[in-house]
Amino acid sequence: MKKIRVIFIFVVLLSLQFMNAYGVQRFPKPDFESGYLQPETLQPSARAGLLAIMDVSVLALALALVSWLVLKKRSRTGVFWTSVFSLAYFGFYRQGCVCSIGAIQNVTLALFDKSYVIPLAVLAFFILPLVFTLFFGRTFCAGVCPFGAMQDLVSFRPQKPDPRLNAVLGMMPYIYLGLAVLYAATGSDFIICRYDPFVGIFRFNASFGMLIFSGTLLVSGIFIARPYCRYLCPYGVLLNWASRFSWRHLTITPDKCIQCRLCEESCPYDAIDIPVVDLNPEGRSVTARKLILVSLLVPFFIVLGGWTGSRLHETLAGVNGKVRLAKILLEPERYRDQPEPFEVTAYKSSGKPLTVVYDEAAGVLRRFYTGGWLLGCFIGLVFGMILAGRLLTRYSTDYTPNKGACFSCARCVDYCPVEKNGTKEVKP
Amino acid sequence: MKQKRYLVTALVFLSAGILFMLWDMFFSHPEPGVNPYAYDMKAIRSADTLLAKYREVQQIKPVLTSIHGLAVDRSDRIYIAGDGGVELYNREGKRESAFRIGGSARCIHVDKDGLIYLGMEDHLEIYNHQGIRVNQWKSCAPEAIITSIAVTTDDIYIADAGNKIVYRYDHSGKLIRKIGEKDPRDSVPGFVVPSPWFDLATDPGGALWVVNPGRHLLEKFSREGAILGSWGKATMAVDGFCGCCNPSHFALLSDGSFVTSEKAIERVKIYSPKGEFRFLVATPESFTEGTRGLDLAVDSRDRILVLDPERNQVRIFVPKQ
Repeated sequence: MKKIRVIFIFVVLLSLQFMNAYGVQRFPKPDFESGYLQPETLQPSARAGLLAIMDVSVLALALALVSWLVLKKRSRTGVFWTSVFSLAYFGFYRQGCVCSIGAIQNVTLALFDKSYVIPLAVLAFFILPLVFTLFFGRTFCAGVCPFGAMQDLVSFRPQKPDPRLNAVLGMMPYIYLGLAVLYAATGSDFIICRYDPFVGIFRFNASFGMLIFSGTLLVSGIFIARPYCRYLCPYGVLLNWASRFSWRHLTITPDKCIQCRLCEESCPYDAIDIPVVDLNPEGRSVTARKLILVSLLVPFFIVLGGWTGSRLHETLAGVNGKVRLAKILLEPERYRDQPEPFEVTAYKSSGKPLTVVYDEAAGVLRRFYTGGWLLGCFIGLVFGMILAGRLLTRYSTDYTPNKGACFSCARCVDYCPVEKNGTKEVKP
Repeated sequence: MKQKRYLVTALVFLSAGILFMLWDMFFSHPEPGVNPYAYDMKAIRSADTLLAKYREVQQIKPVLTSIHGLAVDRSDRIYIAGDGGVELYNREGKRESAFRIGGSARCIHVDKDGLIYLGMEDHLEIYNHQGIRVNQWKSCAPEAIITSIAVTTDDIYIADAGNKIVYRYDHSGKLIRKIGEKDPRDSVPGFVVPSPWFDLATDPGGALWVVNPGRHLLEKFSREGAILGSWGKATMAVDGFCGCCNPSHFALLSDGSFVTSEKAIERVKIYSPKGEFRFLVATPESFTEGTRGLDLAVDSRDRILVLDPERNQVRIFVPKQ
C-alpha cells in the first residue's frame, strides 16, 4: 500500500512538470476574436505531451477491450458501444488527428526524409492497431476506428454489391495506399488527410467540397456498409494483410459448424467465405490451366502497371508544389491575362534563381518516375493477385470469416445457434 | 428490384465521391490571383466609427520632407524634427522658426526650460530655442537607435531600440542606470522590441512609462528600474494591441489617460490611467495604409497631435462636441 502511495505521489509530481509549460509568460500571440478567418490547415496543432500519452493509452485500452469483447465475450453489443466511445473520443474530442490511417504518411515521410522526426505518439497510432491485428484480427476496425464507427451508425439498409463490382472497387484502397505513399515519400502532399471525409465533420469546419464528399460517402453508406473502409481506406490494406496472419481471429461459431447457413447473409461486408466442399470442383486440368494463366498474367500486369505508372509520372507529379511552380514559370503566356498566381508571387519574393526552381522540379520528377514505376508495379501485382483469387477456388468446409476482409464486428456471432460444447436457441 | 435501385444509387454516390477526389487531385487549379494564405486585414481595419470620439481640426504641413519626431512645449509651441532640421510652430499652427541639424533626428523632446533634446540615431544632441547646439553626448552604446527621450528635473531617460534598453542619465550626461535589462533573478522579462518603435514618457508623478511593444504592454518603472506595474492586452480587437509590436507611440493626457498609436492597423486610441480602453481618436480609415511612426504629443488644452510621416503632416484632433 505504501509503495502504491509513493508511486502515486511520484506520478503526480512528474505530471506537474508538464504544467511548467503553461507557467511561462509567453510572447503573446494575436488572437482572432475580431472575425478574422484563418486559412484552413490540414494538421491541427500538436497535442501536449501528457495528452499524447493519454491518447496512446486510450488507444491501447480500447484495442484490448474490443479484442476481448470479440474473442472472449463474443459480444456485438459491447463492440458497438466501444465504437460509439471511439467515435466520441478519437473522432469528436481528438478531432480525428492523428489517426492511424493518416499515420501511414508520417511513417513514410520519416523513412524517406531524414529531416523529419516522427512523433512517438504518431508511430504508436500506426503500429498498435497493426500489432493487435497480427494477434487478434481487425479489432481496430471493429470498434476503435472513428471512421468505421461513423459509417456503422448510418448503415441502416446494407446491400451486397455484385462480387465482380466488389472486386473492382476493392482495388481502390491499394491505389489510394500507393498514391499516399508516393506523395508522402516525395514530400508532395498528405493526400489521406487532404481527402479525409470525416475530419471536417469531427471539427465542424468542412469545406463545401469535402462536405459533399462526406455526404456522398455517408449516403452511400446507408446501403453499402462501410464504403470508405472497404473501397478507400489505405490503412485497411495493411490491416488486411496483417489479419491474414492473425494468431487468433474471430470465428463465427464457437464450436463446430453445423452448416445451418444462418450466418450466410449476416455479414453486411460480404466477408464470410462460403464452404467449398468439393476438393476439385473444376477438374485438375482446368485448375492447372488456370494456374499457368495466372503465373503468366501476374508478371505481365506488373510490367504493364509499372510502364503505365512511369508514363504517368508527370501527371502524378503535378500535385507537387515545386513541379507546379516550375510549370507555371515555364508557361508565363498561359497566365498573361490572369492575376499572378500566389505561388509565383511567393517565388518572386524569395529571390531564388529560376534555374534552382527548375533543378528542384527536375529532381522531383525523377523521383516520380521511379515512384511511378513502383506504384504501377504494385497496382499491377494487386490486380493480378485479385484476378488469381477469383480464378482459383479454395477448399473449405465451414462458414468462416475471410480473415483479410473481416472487420471483426461480431455481427455474425449473434446468428450462430451453436454454443461452446453444445447448441443454443436463436432468438427469433 | 427496390433493393437493386438502392444499391445502384449508393454506387453512383460512391463513384461521385471518388471522381471528386480524382478531379480535385489532378485536374483542379487554384483560382489565379487568389492567395488562400493571404492575411486579410480588411475586417480588422474596419473600426466602429461610433467609438471615434475625436475629430480632426487642423493639419500642419512642415517644410521638412521627412519627419520623425514631434513635441509640444509648455507654451504649446509645436516642434517637428526630421532629416536635417527642426521646425517650430505656434499653437495656431503658424511657422515661427526653424534650424538645421547635421543629420536625422528620430525623436525630439522639449523640457520645461525650452531646451530641445534630439535623438540623433545613436546619440543625444541638445539645442536651445535659437537653434544653437549647446551639448552633444557621446554614443549611448554600439548599435544604439534612440527612439524616445523623456526629461525630468533630475533625469534624462533615453529609449534605445537597438539594444532594447532604457538609459537613465543625469543632466550632465552621466549614465546612472540601465532600466529593463533582462534579469530572470529579479523577474524582469526584458523589452521585446522587434522594430525600431520604442517609446517612453514620464507621468506627472515622475514615474517612467515604457512601451514593451513585443508584449503589447505599457510598463511602469521606478527611477531605480523596478517594475511597478503594467497594462495592455494582446488582441486583434479594438481594445488591445496586435501584430508583432504595438503600440508604437504614446503620450499622456492631463488626467493621466494614455493616448496610443499603432502601426499595421493604423489607429490612435485613448486608454484610462488604469489602461482601460475608452475610445478612438483616429480610425484606420484616417491614415494611408502602411503608415508607420505616428508620433504623438498632447498640448496644455489636451489637443492630440499626431505626426503622420506618410502624408508629411502634423494632424490635430480635438474631442467631438
